Amino acid sequence: MYLINNNHTLNTPDMKRCIILLSFMLASVTLMAQKGDSDKKTTAADSLLNSMSNDDAKGPMEIYKSSRLVLSQSTKTIKKNNFNFLVIHRFGDFAGKNGGGKLYYGLDDVADVYIGFEYGLTDNLNIDMGRSTIGGLADLELKYAVLHQARGGSPFAITLLGETGLRPYGKDFTKASDRFSYFGQVLIAHSFSPGNVLQIAPSVVRNNTPIPFVPGNDLDFIALNATLRLKLSKAAGFIVDYAHSFSSFQHTQGTGFSDPLGFGFEMETGGHVFTLNVTNARAVNEINYLSGTQSSYGRGQYRIGFTISRMFDFNGHKKDKKEAKESNN
Amino acid sequence: MKYLSIMLLAWMTTFQAGQDLYVCKNASITLFSTAPIEDIKAETSTGASVFNAATGELNFTVLISSFKFPKSLMQEHFNSDYMESDKYPRATFKGKIAEKIDVTKDGSYPVNVTGDLTVHNVTMKRTIPGTVTVKGGAISMKSEFMVKCADHHIDIPKIVFHNIAESIKMTVSANYVLNK
Repeated sequence: MYLINNNHTLNTPDMKRCIILLSFMLASVTLMAQKGDSDKKTTAADSLLNSMSNDDAKGPMEIYKSSRLVLSQSTKTIKKNNFNFLVIHRFGDFAGKNGGGKLYYGLDDVADVYIGFEYGLTDNLNIDMGRSTIGGLADLELKYAVLHQARGGSPFAITLLGETGLRPYGKDFTKASDRFSYFGQVLIAHSFSPGNVLQIAPSVVRNNTPIPFVPGNDLDFIALNATLRLKLSKAAGFIVDYAHSFSSFQHTQGTGFSDPLGFGFEMETGGHVFTLNVTNARAVNEINYLSGTQSSYGRGQYRIGFTISRMFDFNGHKKDKKEAKESNN
Repeated sequence: MKYLSIMLLAWMTTFQAGQDLYVCKNASITLFSTAPIEDIKAETSTGASVFNAATGELNFTVLISSFKFPKSLMQEHFNSDYMESDKYPRATFKGKIAEKIDVTKDGSYPVNVTGDLTVHNVTMKRTIPGTVTVKGGAISMKSEFMVKCADHHIDIPKIVFHNIAESIKMTVSANYVLNK
C-alpha cells in the first residue's frame, strides 16, 4: 500500500516538476564542477590558445648555410633577388715534387680559380654563372630546389642541378660542339640535427671531347658525391666531401686517376660564408674535377683552398627609399 | 513557473564564464633594433591571443619563424643564429591585467600586465604597460616594451655582420572578438 501511495504522489504534476528541476540543477552543478576541475590544470584561455597554436611542427628548414661545400654544391638555393658572389680558389700542391717550402707549400702557385655568381630568380630557382682557370671553362647553371626538408613534412631536401660548360679557347677541338660539356645532378640532403647534414648526389657527366684529351677516355659517365657537414658552433662547421666517378677508363691501371676528397672548415660571418679547405682535386667545377682528377694525397698532391661567398640582397631597398622619402616629407 | 525560471537562471550562469573569452588570431607584432649599419625591423600578423575579461587573464603566443624581415638573409640569421627557432619555435606571454576592465563601457584603459614572458626558452617575470580600448563591445590592445637579448640568453655572435642592439623594441597590437 505504502509503495503504491508513493507512486501516486510521483504522478502529481507538482512533484514531476520538482524532479525535473532537481535533475537540471544537478546537471548544472556537474557542469560547473567540471569547469572548476579544468581550471586547476589549464585555464580555458590556455586551452583555447593551445588549440590556436598547434602548427609548430610544420615549415621548411634551412639546413645549409652556404650553397657551396668543398667539392659539391649544397641543396641550398639562394632566395629571390639575392646575388651571391663567389670566389673559389685552389692553390698548388702542398707537398711532393711541385710543392714544399720552396713554393711556400703551394701558395705561390694557382691550380684553379673560379669566379662566379648565383642569382635567385625565385626562392627555389637560381641561375649561376662562372669561369674556371682549368680549361678556361665557362659554365652556366640552373639550380632548382624541388623539395625542402620540413618539420612535419619531407625528411629530405632535393635539389636539381643542370650545367652547361663551354671552353671557348683551346686547340684540341675539331668542331665547335666539341667545346661543350654537360652536367646533371640530383642533390639529396638530410639534416639529422641542426647544422649536421648528410648529402648524397648522383650525377651524369657528358664531355663532347674526352677530358683530359686521352685516347680511350670516356665521354659519358656517372658519378656520385657524398658530403657530411658537422656543426662545430652556431657559425662554424666541418665538412668532408668525397666524389667517385664510375668511369671505366679512370679506373684502368696506369691512368693515374684519384677520387677527389676534400676537408673543409666553414665559417659564417653574416653576409659572408668563408670555407678553408684541403683537397686533392685541382679543379673547382664539377665537370673538371669529376673528369680529370689525377692528383693524389699519396704523392703529396693536396692543396689548400678557400671559398668566399658574399651575399647581396636586392630586396627591401625600394621600400627603404620610399620610407626615407616619406620621413623627409 | 517560478521553479522553471530559477532553473533557467542556474543553467545560464554556468555558461557565463565561456562568454568572457575574447580571442585574436591576427595580432600584429613588430620588433625593431637600431644597429650601427642599418636598422632592423621585422613584423608578423599571425600572433594569437586570448583575453579572459572575467579574470583579467591575458595570453599571447607567436611563431618565431613567422616574423618577416625585408632581407631574407636577416630572417635566416634571426631564426638560426639568434632565436634557434628550430629548437624553440614560439615566444609566449601568460599574464594578468592588474586593473579591472569593464567590457560593457566604452573607453581607453591604461593597464599593467604582469606575467611570464618566454622567449628563446627563457622565462622572465615582467610587468608590461599597455592600453586596452573598448568600443561598442570590441576590445583592442596596444603595447610597446623592450626585450633585452641577454635576459633571454640570446647570444649575439661576435663576428656576425648584421649587428643588432642589445635591447629590442617590441610593439604589439591586437583586436579581439568574442569567442563563440
